[in-house]
Amino acid sequence: MAADALAVAPLLVPLLAATAALLTRRWPVIRTSVSVAGVVAYAGVVALVAWRVVVAPDAPGAVAYQVGDWPAPFGITLVVDALSAFVLVLTAAVALPAMLSSVRYLLPEDEDVYYHPLYHFLLVGITGALLTGDLFNLFVWFEVLLMATYVLVSFYGGVAHTRATLWFLVLNIVASAVMLVAIGGLYATTGTLNMADMARRLARPAASGVAVGPVVGLSALLFAVFALKAGLVPFQFWVPSAYTAAPLPATALLAGAVKKVGVYAILRLYFTVLSPASVPVSLPGVAGDSPLAFLGPVLLLMAAASVVFGGLGAIRGRSVEEVLAYSSIGQVGFIAIPVAIAALVPSPARELAVAAGLVYALNHTLAKGMLFLAAATVRSAAGTSRLSELGGLAGRFPALSSAFMVGALALIGIPPLSGFFGKFLVFDAAVRADRSLTLAVLVGGSLLTIAYTTRAWLRGFWGERTAAVETAVRDPAQVAVVVAMALAVAAVGVGFEVVFAFAEAAAEAATDTDAYVEVVAPTGGVEE
Amino acid sequence: MTLVLATLLGLLFAFGTYLLLRRDLVWVIWGLAIVSQAANAYLLTVAGIAVPGVESVPVLGHGAEGAVPETADPLVQALVLTAIVISFGMTAFALVVTYRVYEEHDTIDVFEIGGER
Repeated sequence: MAADALAVAPLLVPLLAATAALLTRRWPVIRTSVSVAGVVAYAGVVALVAWRVVVAPDAPGAVAYQVGDWPAPFGITLVVDALSAFVLVLTAAVALPAMLSSVRYLLPEDEDVYYHPLYHFLLVGITGALLTGDLFNLFVWFEVLLMATYVLVSFYGGVAHTRATLWFLVLNIVASAVMLVAIGGLYATTGTLNMADMARRLARPAASGVAVGPVVGLSALLFAVFALKAGLVPFQFWVPSAYTAAPLPATALLAGAVKKVGVYAILRLYFTVLSPASVPVSLPGVAGDSPLAFLGPVLLLMAAASVVFGGLGAIRGRSVEEVLAYSSIGQVGFIAIPVAIAALVPSPARELAVAAGLVYALNHTLAKGMLFLAAATVRSAAGTSRLSELGGLAGRFPALSSAFMVGALALIGIPPLSGFFGKFLVFDAAVRADRSLTLAVLVGGSLLTIAYTTRAWLRGFWGERTAAVETAVRDPAQVAVVVAMALAVAAVGVGFEVVFAFAEAAAEAATDTDAYVEVVAPTGGVEE
Repeated sequence: MTLVLATLLGLLFAFGTYLLLRRDLVWVIWGLAIVSQAANAYLLTVAGIAVPGVESVPVLGHGAEGAVPETADPLVQALVLTAIVISFGMTAFALVVTYRVYEEHDTIDVFEIGGER
């Protein structure tokens, strides 16, 4: 396979799998096998792309695929660079175990006919959003992703599920309208939708006749949309209801991968596309003349609020998945804080801070994905995941409980698990940037993490065995998936050097606009 | 022309937002539809607005003797076509969800739907 055609492969695999799962819907065994094979193939293709494009010794580092051979910026461009490959690997790392777990989690009476096609269409949407090199296509892929998410959130169709879908739906349709307005405005201002071309024109506004001023405001609109997708405060209120309504293995994918797409979009837009632009403005609290200088303080504030809000909400959680859903808000704050710091500091420290955010994202994807799957296993076994009806799980299911413990410790950040390095790098970034207030928020957030994981552990896994736990029957396959993910969390911590090299390459790709423009190679427009 | 369009778009967005904030769920869905359509109409204007005349044509003809007439930007029309299809699908889905919400909750009052637990 030609190297640049690799960029389109991760899109085609889930698309084919979704179609095949729809065609075989009448025969449950074949449908499920096709679906599982599709996810395995997706993981394989993503691994191949990451290896051939980024990790292998003679890898090109980034490739672009021009759909239909139309040259950029006129055609649709798909780009794989280290940043998108990193987030793709995260997606595959949670998509595979979540699918394996959901095969045993969904009951025949759930009418899981459409679960498998939806799951694959969700993967199509995530992959498309990660690969596209074109702002309008980003909007289209977001809609593909959202449509699958709406149906997954409303999957059970009960009172709580329809309500959660409604809030999620209304919020995201408004966000889509805002995103259209921002993209239209950016097209009117810069005269292009191709992100590489836009970056090139913004770097030389005089040569291409671009007014840079409006770009800042329009990108702020886009930032609000991406922050909504990532579930940052003050756009967090859909997260708990939607995450508890969807089937729990699907929630593992939502929390593990869909949230990261929002973070990825912020990184791609601000660090790759907008960072070369310079806007001379003097505002209180804003230093510097790049759009990044505007992003930094705002994102820092939102991320810090997320850490506090998510931690406090998780302490009040009534069921295992509610604790985890609120915890997701807080953990995304931990990912966003180094990104905000990266926007505020100059170059060598900037790459390190972005890498810190990416490593934390990896930790959150693995650990939180695994915890949601553990919650699914508990619910399958005991028929409930409410903390008031659980107790003594540790004695009945030692393997499952140890895995949950590993996930909780990874969230807290105990060495040698993946969480330790994530937390360490985030703290390191805050110390290097000399931000004592941010550091205080980080410490407070970590204490809250310890508090809510301890509470969930004490209420659910220790103490008196309740009737539900006494009669529970665990599903060995689901437990095996959770244990395997727990081993992966430990493995990432032990073999951290490889992971960090990948994250560093991704951070490098995120901040290196020239390399990105060179790979996409848009023609015409700007005089050199 | 620009001023008229700008005013009209502003009014559409304002009216859509007003409907979005109602208690009646059907009005909220109308608000969503109107805001989406306002965004679509706005998208059509981003290529710039030209006063119609003999010099401007929507589709480039044969361009006799090298004289190329002014053309409209076809890209925004392709964009708006995509956006219309998407917003149509989303509005249809929103209506279906509204019906299911009514079946489950026996009300379309947003406050009552949100109040229970």
